Amino acid sequence: MSLSACGQAAAPAAAGSDSSETAEAAEEKSSEEASAEGTATGDGIRLLNGKPEIDSQLQELAKLYNEETGYVLNVETIGGDSSAADELKKMYQADNMPDIFVIEANQADTWDGMLADLAGEEWTDKTGFELVNSSMGTIGFPYTVEATALGYNADVLNAAGIDPSTLTSPGAYADAFKTLDDKKGELGITAVLGWCAEPANLGWSSGTHVFGQYLDAGLKADDTTYIDLLNDGGKVDEARMKSFAEFIGLMNQYSDPELLVDGTYDQQVAGFKEGKYAFITQGNWCVTSPDDVSFECGFAPYAFEDGIDTIIAGPPSYWVAYSEGNVDEAKEFFNWCAGKSAQDILVNKAGLVSPFDDCEFEAVNPFYKSMKSYIDAGKYSGWHTMLKKDGLQNVTCQVFADYAQGKLDAASFASTMAQVIQSYYAN
Amino acid sequence: MGEFTAGRKAVSFGSLIIGLILMIYGLGTAIAKTGNNLRGAEILIGAVLFFAGLYLFPTLKYHRTIVNIIFLFPLLFAFAVTVIIPLVLGIGYSFTDWDGIRIKGFVGFDNYIRMFKQPGFIWSILITFLFVFFNIILVNLVAFLLALLCTSRIKGLGFFRAAYFLPNLIGGIVLGYIWQFIFSSVITKFTSAFWDMRYSMLSDTKTAFVGIVIVYIWQYAGYIMLIYITGLNTIPEDVLEASSIDGAGAAQTLFNIKIPMLAPTITICTFLTLTSAFKQFDVNLALTNGTGSVADFMGNYLTNGTEMLALNIYSTAVINNEYALGEAKAVLFFIILAIVSIVQVRISNKREVEM
Repeated sequence: MSLSACGQAAAPAAAGSDSSETAEAAEEKSSEEASAEGTATGDGIRLLNGKPEIDSQLQELAKLYNEETGYVLNVETIGGDSSAADELKKMYQADNMPDIFVIEANQADTWDGMLADLAGEEWTDKTGFELVNSSMGTIGFPYTVEATALGYNADVLNAAGIDPSTLTSPGAYADAFKTLDDKKGELGITAVLGWCAEPANLGWSSGTHVFGQYLDAGLKADDTTYIDLLNDGGKVDEARMKSFAEFIGLMNQYSDPELLVDGTYDQQVAGFKEGKYAFITQGNWCVTSPDDVSFECGFAPYAFEDGIDTIIAGPPSYWVAYSEGNVDEAKEFFNWCAGKSAQDILVNKAGLVSPFDDCEFEAVNPFYKSMKSYIDAGKYSGWHTMLKKDGLQNVTCQVFADYAQGKLDAASFASTMAQVIQSYYAN
Repeated sequence: MGEFTAGRKAVSFGSLIIGLILMIYGLGTAIAKTGNNLRGAEILIGAVLFFAGLYLFPTLKYHRTIVNIIFLFPLLFAFAVTVIIPLVLGIGYSFTDWDGIRIKGFVGFDNYIRMFKQPGFIWSILITFLFVFFNIILVNLVAFLLALLCTSRIKGLGFFRAAYFLPNLIGGIVLGYIWQFIFSSVITKFTSAFWDMRYSMLSDTKTAFVGIVIVYIWQYAGYIMLIYITGLNTIPEDVLEASSIDGAGAAQTLFNIKIPMLAPTITICTFLTLTSAFKQFDVNLALTNGTGSVADFMGNYLTNGTEMLALNIYSTAVINNEYALGEAKAVLFFIILAIVSIVQVRISNKREVEM
């Protein structure tokens, strides 16, 4: 804050000479900001990133941004989304807020009144994935789209004579799992599924992602039936939960027993990449590079009821602009970030899937083709699981774990789930 | 006051007043966020001026007291900033609906009432007491036996002392992950081969609790052992010699001479194990993260079977985003610890005198 005077001069100077026009524009902008009571940090704007795995690519993005526009962007990375949320609170108390930071959808209310409305910005016309809040308007810039469903190894399914497009009912799954299980030796797989319900480290996977299928599978992206029911004091749809429980039971039955109760994320993903499992219960983030796998990947829906044919797809988290920060420069950055050169880095180098319609780059992610086919066909559901009450995943993941261990059966899984959720919301 | 010159009085009062004004101005602008870049310097110079004025204050009677205060100030200031102010603020936050960012209103005792309605929290208190109970006994027992071993005449004493102490130098989080691997990958190999236990002992509440106790003893016994070794070494040789001349056996020496003479050490060690076991957090977080189910506790299915108090407070605040409720739990935690510590020290002191 104290360095604002010298930093203002430095920003345009760093622009180089390749485009004097933008440098000039930047200079004008900077002097405007300087007069606006020190809201501009002289060192440019700061972005708090919650994805450590793309830190180096974002640094590269910041460099390119500076070269192309003259603005300075400083990327700070904090591991994991929940710890970014925690870090942000410390930053807020220390009066050290970044101009742009990452939030998950359910964290918007915590920041009520403090996030800039980005409505009307150029990029908002190019995507349907922005985060809209009832009181603050368009607040979230989607920087990636992620999908979760049952990831499959297309080569194995092919060899077993299973057409993944037929997997839209529990019956079809039961048959497919049985076929695969019978042909395990022939297909060279260890188990049909790589599904892990270990709660201490993988609770986010079962408690948030797999649980999210109960909330959203088969629904249109803007359908909030079951999340609304859940957030209304922790209510659960009994019939739907029962079918969900049956399906999870099927998954428990055919998952690798070595992995199911005590496994780790690394073990799970490594097993899938090595071709040991035909299915994996993760999302497109688990295999990011085509070099990781020697087979074709795809997604199949969690069809725990007849006719469910959607995968969950959308931005799991968003970038937002802090309203007391340098909003103008943040908006500038978002517009640039939705453009070609930025998308080139985000898609081709960081391996993200672009949320923008006009993005000409095909994501390198092995799951991309399958994801795109669902999105194009409108067969995708929302990430409403991110709107559940904070910390609920740590309660539900334990129920998944007990079910996997055989302490519960399908009926008691459904009733226990209903009870723990209800009691979590009540207290 | 007659022996002080007018000049000294002027300098003293002048610096006191200017110092105070500078500090108040600096603090004021910092709180009002007016972007005053010199506020740090203002506060610092103000503080120096204030203390100079205080030192030169024209009094003989209180001069010594003033000097004492000036010398104590750095310590008191640090203590206030790091302990007293956070404590007061924390207690204050527990009566609000603070979410880590803003306070929207005061809620009185709501948080305190709410936390006792959470069966999971009651469970956390219970297993924390259980954990403390097991640990005080087991850590001290194991540490004392190790200390006896390390003060005997076996070969390679240095190696044993270092080896037993080493786990204490590894951070709890790292330790937790190391043992997680041991419990879920190594031990299951044996349990599945010899008995029909396919799953890790961490996947069941009871055995996971035992797991945490084991890791904690492994980590902490070496440290307590060092204190016992020091205690054993301070027992005067002549007393031991006299007893052996009188024909005392090893067991008699141990129970009638060594242990009574170690009473102060035992006090210190039980006190250390008590408070540190109460505050158990890192191993708990890394090893089980509080997971484990309890089928029926107060009519509820619990999902935080191994979650001890400190971890429960952390999850409430940070994971569940209920900072004020977490503060209320932390205040209760503070009260429990304070009471237990005071009682324990009182009892031990009394016993020492009797022995």
